[in-house]
Amino acid sequence: MIRTIRHITLWSALAASLAAFVYNAGALYGIHHDNDLIRQLISGKDVAVNKVISGEPELRLARAFYFKQKHRYDEALSTLSLIMDKGGRNFQAKARYNLGNLYLEQAIQQAKAMNINEAMPLAGLAKQAYRQSLALNSRDWDAKYNLEVAMRLLPEMDRVDMPDDEPTKQKSQLWTTVPGFPRGLP
Amino acid sequence: MRILLIMVLSLLGCSGSIDEPVSYFNVETPRPFGYVNGDEIPQRIIIETRSGISLQPGSLPAKGQINRWLNLNRVTVKQSGQRYQIDLLYQVFYAPLEVKSLTLPGFTVQLSQGEKSIGQSIPAWTFTLSPLRELVVRQSEQGEYMRPDSPPPLLANTQALYGLAASLSIAVLIAAYLGYLYGCYPNMPRRTVFKRALRKLAGLSKADMEQALTLVHQALNSLNGQPLFSNQLGDFYRRNPQYLQINAQLAWFFNYSNRYFFSDGMTVVAQDLQQLKELCEQCRKIERGSR
Repeated sequence: MIRTIRHITLWSALAASLAAFVYNAGALYGIHHDNDLIRQLISGKDVAVNKVISGEPELRLARAFYFKQKHRYDEALSTLSLIMDKGGRNFQAKARYNLGNLYLEQAIQQAKAMNINEAMPLAGLAKQAYRQSLALNSRDWDAKYNLEVAMRLLPEMDRVDMPDDEPTKQKSQLWTTVPGFPRGLP
Repeated sequence: MRILLIMVLSLLGCSGSIDEPVSYFNVETPRPFGYVNGDEIPQRIIIETRSGISLQPGSLPAKGQINRWLNLNRVTVKQSGQRYQIDLLYQVFYAPLEVKSLTLPGFTVQLSQGEKSIGQSIPAWTFTLSPLRELVVRQSEQGEYMRPDSPPPLLANTQALYGLAASLSIAVLIAAYLGYLYGCYPNMPRRTVFKRALRKLAGLSKADMEQALTLVHQALNSLNGQPLFSNQLGDFYRRNPQYLQINAQLAWFFNYSNRYFFSDGMTVVAQDLQQLKELCEQCRKIERGSR
């Protein structure tokens, strides 16, 4: 009796491991396929929408990256906003960094065109996204740099917002004195 | 006498420190320079108290935004006996135009002894923050220079690969073991005794009864290692206890074989050959371990 049970168990274990093998092979094939799509998007070729909708968040990030390269900001924004809470810590940090870049690039364009009223909220959104990204991953140098770009894009606005802070006064003093400083040296 | 009194009094004066609620206090901070926008700054506070005094966790600064440029990301308190280790993780968000001195604000930790509460102040800590960009920023075609997007990561396939390798190796191991049980390896003949007999038996009809009986005898003999007769069955079962379950069929076989070879006028019916085949089938099942 025990021998019979052992025999049946062996056969069913074999069947189960073969099923697991087939499942993993399928998963591996799927990953390979998705990675091909991601590479295609990075290289600047669009893929069918339904493949992205049913796919992993990484695919959406890649699609948003593609839209951003093509300056299709609204589509990039709507694609990115769907994956903000998906994936692990590093993935979320990356998604937020790219979101920040999306806002910052538009803010820079608006500022260049002297549309300060449009540029201001965009820079604010960019700063918020970079801060969130850095809170998730404080070792991201690109995010640090771009946060500084966003913070100094409209420095006047930034200074008005903080009259209660002590460093503020020093900063505004520096702003007027520093540019002339090197020339005055002996 | 007077000198003695003075000595005792001065000793009493020295012992005042024993009554202090905090026996050890230290704030550990990393280097006070070289930070940039977005950096995290850890601060470790170690407080050792006298017994009966406990820390009020509510008096620690709350996680979240402290002021316009400073966030507190993590607060952890580890207690071992009367020793408290408070780890604070600050994050700075400030874009200075030149190297700039900033201060982590100090606060007061409340320690309580029954109803009484004692404050231990943590001093403010000053550090310098450096800019990442030059004062006159360089321009790119789009306007101000900024770092490009982070390229989207590829999906990790390690987990699927491990799963694939693990399931494949388990399947191969089980298949190899089953193969051993089923006698698929030619260098392990003991497992294939009845397999081969059964194969030969399949081609025989009732007219070849003599050959069929000899086949089964040979199979049993090779399993036993020496010729097996019905009176040695007890010994055989002791060495191969799994065959005890078909004792009745084996007994029938020896009996039938005796009658066939040594008494005259036996008529062979098809059912006898069928029964012989069934016996061989049972033996095969036992041999491969499925019974």
